[in-house]
Amino acid sequence: MVRNSTGTSAVRGCCRALIGMVLAASATAAVAASVTDAMIANDQNTPNDVLTVGMGYSGQRFSSSTKINSDNIDDLVPAWSFSMGGEKQRGQETQALVNDGKIFITGSYSRIWALDQKTGQKIWVYEHRLPEGIVPCCDVVNRGAALYDNLVIFGTLDAKLVALNADTGKVVWTETIDDFKGGYSYTAAPLIVKGKLITGVSGGEFGVVGRIEARDAKTGKMVWSRPTVEGHMGYLNGKENGISGKLNATWPGDLWKTGGAATWLGCTYGADTNQIYCGTGNPAPWNSYSRPGDNLYSTSTLAINADTGKIEWSYQSTPNDSWDFDGVNEFISFDMKKDGKTVKAGAKADRNGFFYVLNRENGKLLSASPFVTKQTWASGVDLKTGRPIESNNRPGDPGKGEKGSAVFAAPAFLGAKNWMPMAYSGQTGLFYVPANEWGMDIWNEPITYKKGAAFLGAGFTIKPLYDDYIGALRAMDPATGKIVWEYKNPAPLWGGVMTTAGNLVFTGTPEGFLKAFDAKTGKELWKFQTGSGVVGQPTTWEMDGEQYIGVASGWGGAVPLWGGEVAKKVKDISQGGSFWVFKLHKSGKAAVAQVSP
Amino acid sequence: MTAMRILRIAVFVLGQAGVVSAALALEPPPDPLKSPAWGTIYGRYFKDQKVVFDDRVKVIAPANAENPLDVPVQVSAEGLDGVDEIVVVADLNPIQKIISYEPLQASPDLAFRFKVEQSTPIRAAARTKDGVWHIGGVWLSAAGGGCTTPSYGSGDPVWQTRLNEVSGRLWPNAETKTQRLRLRLIHPMDTGLANGIPAFYIDRILLSDAKGEALARVHSYEPISENPVFSFDLKGSGPVRVSGGDIQGNKFSAEIKP
Repeated sequence: MVRNSTGTSAVRGCCRALIGMVLAASATAAVAASVTDAMIANDQNTPNDVLTVGMGYSGQRFSSSTKINSDNIDDLVPAWSFSMGGEKQRGQETQALVNDGKIFITGSYSRIWALDQKTGQKIWVYEHRLPEGIVPCCDVVNRGAALYDNLVIFGTLDAKLVALNADTGKVVWTETIDDFKGGYSYTAAPLIVKGKLITGVSGGEFGVVGRIEARDAKTGKMVWSRPTVEGHMGYLNGKENGISGKLNATWPGDLWKTGGAATWLGCTYGADTNQIYCGTGNPAPWNSYSRPGDNLYSTSTLAINADTGKIEWSYQSTPNDSWDFDGVNEFISFDMKKDGKTVKAGAKADRNGFFYVLNRENGKLLSASPFVTKQTWASGVDLKTGRPIESNNRPGDPGKGEKGSAVFAAPAFLGAKNWMPMAYSGQTGLFYVPANEWGMDIWNEPITYKKGAAFLGAGFTIKPLYDDYIGALRAMDPATGKIVWEYKNPAPLWGGVMTTAGNLVFTGTPEGFLKAFDAKTGKELWKFQTGSGVVGQPTTWEMDGEQYIGVASGWGGAVPLWGGEVAKKVKDISQGGSFWVFKLHKSGKAAVAQVSP
Repeated sequence: MTAMRILRIAVFVLGQAGVVSAALALEPPPDPLKSPAWGTIYGRYFKDQKVVFDDRVKVIAPANAENPLDVPVQVSAEGLDGVDEIVVVADLNPIQKIISYEPLQASPDLAFRFKVEQSTPIRAAARTKDGVWHIGGVWLSAAGGGCTTPSYGSGDPVWQTRLNEVSGRLWPNAETKTQRLRLRLIHPMDTGLANGIPAFYIDRILLSDAKGEALARVHSYEPISENPVFSFDLKGSGPVRVSGGDIQGNKFSAEIKP
């Protein structure tokens, strides 16, 4: 569209120079428009675009851009803001994608927009028609889209995948992941690996069966599927491809049929290992006495071969989970320098409060260090067996009674870290982890499975651990497991983190601020009030020689819905729904000088 | 140098085209229905095309819309030969275009139901092989509100379980060697104008015979009623295949047997 209108005006203007420019511009645009595997593989090194949620295969959320840095961030000011509009103001957890002059953002209630990268003006919107009966557990959020070829692809709350023409917003294909009436939904950002669209499922609170699926990104046709609950059959090109694990090895009776382990946060990819790394959620129901055994592959990190869909290794952080320590958190690949050697490692800050570093080639545990102040459920992790050293903190068996004995446990079920992704800087060698300090009273109740109904078998209430803060942004050294610096925030942190080569770390707060910190010291350098709570994922790109920062603002997510006493603390936060873009301020004079030749 | 030459030629051609089109620029003929929106409708759908008002194009609708969400309309251009397309518009609806029909091998007539926002002319325009639009129409009185009211479906979960369900019946006519197809689909057909409910409607239906040969093609728009009902007069006899989809990529296909 932009190309056409420019072309027309140039012909009318009869200016040879302009025509030359238009020809050149359309040539580059034609190349840049269509997203290839090579472009995605190189995403982290190309500051002019953002092609993946996670800012690269490994999900490090690190940008090499230095134009905005810890020396000049005082001059960071808003460039424009876009309203996500309507009365649909719920949590906005998206990360923007940027390509070919367009910014793609997803929003609450399964909506997606394409915005003009220069002006912030809407190019198109797709609003998915949702049925009444959707059952997202934790707000009507969406965490971003995927780009491939000339498609922008995202998932919906009624468990569908929709591929749209990136220029027009028209539907090219749509596929149903599963039956929303059975508790399935979809909120994660899909991942593209070698032309395949990699997706999981949401619905772990409703007794769904978790799985990872790979589809042909251009057509939506299924390539392979890999269930994340032991006993279920996997498929490759329509043929049986072996069951996951061994039937009934770690699950009793028939409970594996509704075993949960939802893959609700998507995956990252290790190009050097050809493995897709996916976290899996809690086993269902929450009441652990009903399902004795480790309940593989719940609360685990799985390494799945990208071509065959086979599990190459798995690491379970909370065997026979009794606290909803849903281990879905992202696994970020990085090269760890320790004792003069470089290890192909990956790290995950788990809901259960441990920061795990694994060898990403074989899944072997290298270290597990607490990143919150209080863990009542385990005193540590045995590095030989990889299993937690539990401290007798499970809620009691309800038996046939109404309620088992309650215990106080920390972290709370909303996690020492929830969905919000951390970031890793190869420059500082630090992970930046958005943590929360809270505990809970939790007890078990008897439960039987009913399709589409909550399948918990537990009661709970969340309590803050400290009066002055819940959220804590912590810089962790993966080599030592030590916390290098921390920033404490009154409300729980629920937004993603990004770090840049400009010695900066960005994250948002429910109080409405986007904040920037010195990556080495944690000193707060800059903040901006966006008008509603920030639970989105910041990202950055360059255009015409300037660096931009973008983040969605719009309070919501699981905290106000599940937060117990904490919900009271955040109930006065204003709803909103907008996408903010920032750049360095230039004086009017300088701007004019730049425009004239 | 070469670029410059090409540019000059381009400008020259553009200039010529401008002159030619100015010479051909057509004025909208006076509207027998005296619609306040005729100028707009003409500019939007028929600009610079030949338009005649023609009694052979008949629109049959009730004088008063009993239910503004579901107004039955019948369109017939039987008296015309070689009709390539029939477009039906409601001048004063917020979304004017209701349906476009390519009869291909069918008779140039159809029936459907639509949503009306306020009293409005309904026009059918039949384009014949020579490119001329033959237009007929009537005024429809309506209390209104049909386009901005939420669909019944939005308060009722039926469409969620039966979305794009197809039912139909065929009535063969041995005398004319045609058969009438009546088609019903389950779809909320949301206009996007009701607060908080995004646009969601069937936008294409293809009718074909048992061998897969296309019999007729329908392009439908937001104003078509919820759970649409259509009637077509198709050539020949035997089972009819129905396929199509909505703007959100949901597809349907079915076979209607005599």
